[in-house]
Amino acid sequence: MTTKKRASKKAAKAPKGMSALAALSVATNAKKTTAERVSALAQAPEAVMKSDENLQKLCDVVKNTDEPVEVRLEAINALATAAFAVATFEPYRNDYIATLQEVAVDPNQEIRESALGLLASEKNKFAQKKLLDGLKNPAKALVPPEKALQLLSYDVHTEAYAVARDIISNSPNELAKQEAMRLLAADPNSTKLFEKLLRDKDETREVRQVAASALNSLAPQKLQEHAREMLLDDSEYEDIQATSLSAVKQFGDDEEVAKDKALLKSVNRLSADAKSSKYKKSAKDFLAMVAEKEEK
Amino acid sequence: MEVITTAAGADSRGAKSAGAAPFLAAPVPASDEEFAELVDTLVADPNRHDQLTDLLRENHPWYNERGTATVAQMRGWVLLGFARTGVSDHALLFVLEELDTGIDPYLVATAACALRSYAKPNPALAPFVMRALAQNRYRDDPVSFLAYADYSLGPEATSPVRELLLTLAWLGPHARTVLPELEATVKSGGLSKKALVEAHRTLEAIRGSEEEPDCCKLPDGLISKFSWAAKARRSSESIASTVFEDQDGAGITFNEFFQGRPSIVVFFYTRCDNPLKCSLTVTKLARVQKLLESRNLAEQIQTAAITYDPAFDVAERIRRYGEKRSVRMDASHRMLRATNGIDSLRQHFKLGVNFVESLVNRHRLEVYVLDRNGRVAASFERLHWDEQEVVDRAIEVLAERKKPARIATPMMGTLASIAIAFFPKCPVCWAAYLSLLGVTGLIQVPYSPWLQPILAVLMIANIASVWLRGRATGRMIGPYLVTLGALIILASRINSSSLKLAALGIVLTLAGSLLGVFTVQKSSAHLNF
Repeated sequence: MTTKKRASKKAAKAPKGMSALAALSVATNAKKTTAERVSALAQAPEAVMKSDENLQKLCDVVKNTDEPVEVRLEAINALATAAFAVATFEPYRNDYIATLQEVAVDPNQEIRESALGLLASEKNKFAQKKLLDGLKNPAKALVPPEKALQLLSYDVHTEAYAVARDIISNSPNELAKQEAMRLLAADPNSTKLFEKLLRDKDETREVRQVAASALNSLAPQKLQEHAREMLLDDSEYEDIQATSLSAVKQFGDDEEVAKDKALLKSVNRLSADAKSSKYKKSAKDFLAMVAEKEEK
Repeated sequence: MEVITTAAGADSRGAKSAGAAPFLAAPVPASDEEFAELVDTLVADPNRHDQLTDLLRENHPWYNERGTATVAQMRGWVLLGFARTGVSDHALLFVLEELDTGIDPYLVATAACALRSYAKPNPALAPFVMRALAQNRYRDDPVSFLAYADYSLGPEATSPVRELLLTLAWLGPHARTVLPELEATVKSGGLSKKALVEAHRTLEAIRGSEEEPDCCKLPDGLISKFSWAAKARRSSESIASTVFEDQDGAGITFNEFFQGRPSIVVFFYTRCDNPLKCSLTVTKLARVQKLLESRNLAEQIQTAAITYDPAFDVAERIRRYGEKRSVRMDASHRMLRATNGIDSLRQHFKLGVNFVESLVNRHRLEVYVLDRNGRVAASFERLHWDEQEVVDRAIEVLAERKKPARIATPMMGTLASIAIAFFPKCPVCWAAYLSLLGVTGLIQVPYSPWLQPILAVLMIANIASVWLRGRATGRMIGPYLVTLGALIILASRINSSSLKLAALGIVLTLAGSLLGVFTVQKSSAHLNF
């Protein structure tokens, strides 16, 4: 269980309903219990925007490595909540970003992830550099590669495509591979890569699903072609065929599909022979839909 | 801003750029440190300051294949270099560009810092600084000028708002035109404590001096608009056959769309994350269209928005982008992507853009007015452009004397096919034809069998051009008909009593040529998402 989840569990039992300033006072009081402080922090964002001093108190909690991690994480959340009101938060943004940049290299991974996540959502160049450096040199990594890739995908303009391709070829883990693929879903030059991954039966389901989704975005016609071929391929997995069926059903050209005897024959076979009743039903529904459209 | 107009043959932009110095002929820096050292070298040598300006051109090779963040870092470091050397009149445009449309905290801060090293404060600079303050006050992130790619946040850290306030203070009385706006900003309560201290100092500096500022005129060297007289315009031959796809998936070549009427062309891409650039550009294009409509010129002056990112910006995507910005889209007003890539357009228009792989890493604002021959007659670059001004320039181009159009007609090839079909086989037939045409009373024209191979070559040329057009547009019915027609004509030559066959061949050739002339809609299976 992550620190955040433990904190939420504890906080549920703490009292609520205090004023924002009182909440801030509890939140920044080291003598209070973690649970009390975490609960109070949920009501603190409003207090942050009342003065510079209030903001600094919360920032100090975030930066203080002696504070409990749960409290620091909730303090980051409180700041992020306050920052959402862009106009009102304007006077405090500079210090807020500075605080996040400072704790982006914190000894605690959850703190780093939280800070880098918020910075990445702002397309902060410092965060992007740190994340990329970590992917290119694992010794410098501040977060796991899959997390780094996920955060870098918030901004298409990062130089992450090359490193994402490297990770797909030599992935440290399956999650990282999928995140690298998601990042490349915005890269038209990766169409062929996604076609290859989609058709590779040795790839996991998840990888093939991500490839299909990316192809749908980059080259929808290609996805239709592959979906059709996979439906015609008797050696293809049923669940992949069912996904292909969905793609053809939702995005295919109805007229072309109705004329495609070979395709309809394959779907018919799926409706009869599929091991899963769910896939059988999908196939039958598809055939019914085609028949209905033909009647019209 | 001054407009450069030239009747000379040279491209005025090239002639005016940095003393016509070529891009720095050094190998691409391999590392951040090397780049920083190279910039420092240029800064230290007064004879090479022009090369520093060149480093601010988007299409500089050192920016090739660099990510946006890296490019921002590099440009910011160059701007800080200017803060040490002094900003020349020529470099001033790049500094003002960053203030006018920039949203990157580091770049805006370095531009504001650089401006303070310009020779003399000028009232015309104040609106740029104030605009940058208004546009960046909610992005007041900490930045560091200590070293290249430095993110340290010690006491020396600064921010775009701080630097802009310092620059307004430097302008002093020359910033009086923006005093009300600055006072309102301070009163709004949005500035941080530190920034407020700086802001009050700035207000004092602006109000305090008794000095009367000079009139608001930017230096003569500042050029963001260019205009070319007809004789000086570069031919568009190199991109005549560039094929575009429009927002509806229809194929059209450069010449087919841009020949015949003046055009207003903007460049954009849908993944641009600077709302002051592409999104605003396309929105303003819609306003340009409204201005044209109000003057009943929408059919005489056409408009086009061309994407920098043709691989990603497919038809459906650019159509929705235009629709959301109320762009008119029809036969004379289109959103376009070049289906065979952006490179030829990049060279022809000398686009201010660079890429990391297929993705734009940096681009400038650019709007072009093309004449009825598709040649660039005017351009508006880097700074915000005025819709009325662009329309006025297009109207001037419209009023230019029409040149006789050289219409390359595919019908010439068709006529050659007809001539082949009925070419007389012998001198007797030749005489018969001449008497039919009533020319035997004239000097007898000898039988000219040499004409037949020439007509055959013309016919083959027609077939080839229709095939090329068919492959470009994806519509092959024209080429098939023309080929079949030619084969039938040749067959009719073999069978002497086959006038009907020849006529059939001619009809098919004519039909195929006509189909090859008109642009057709390519059916598209693009998805809605």
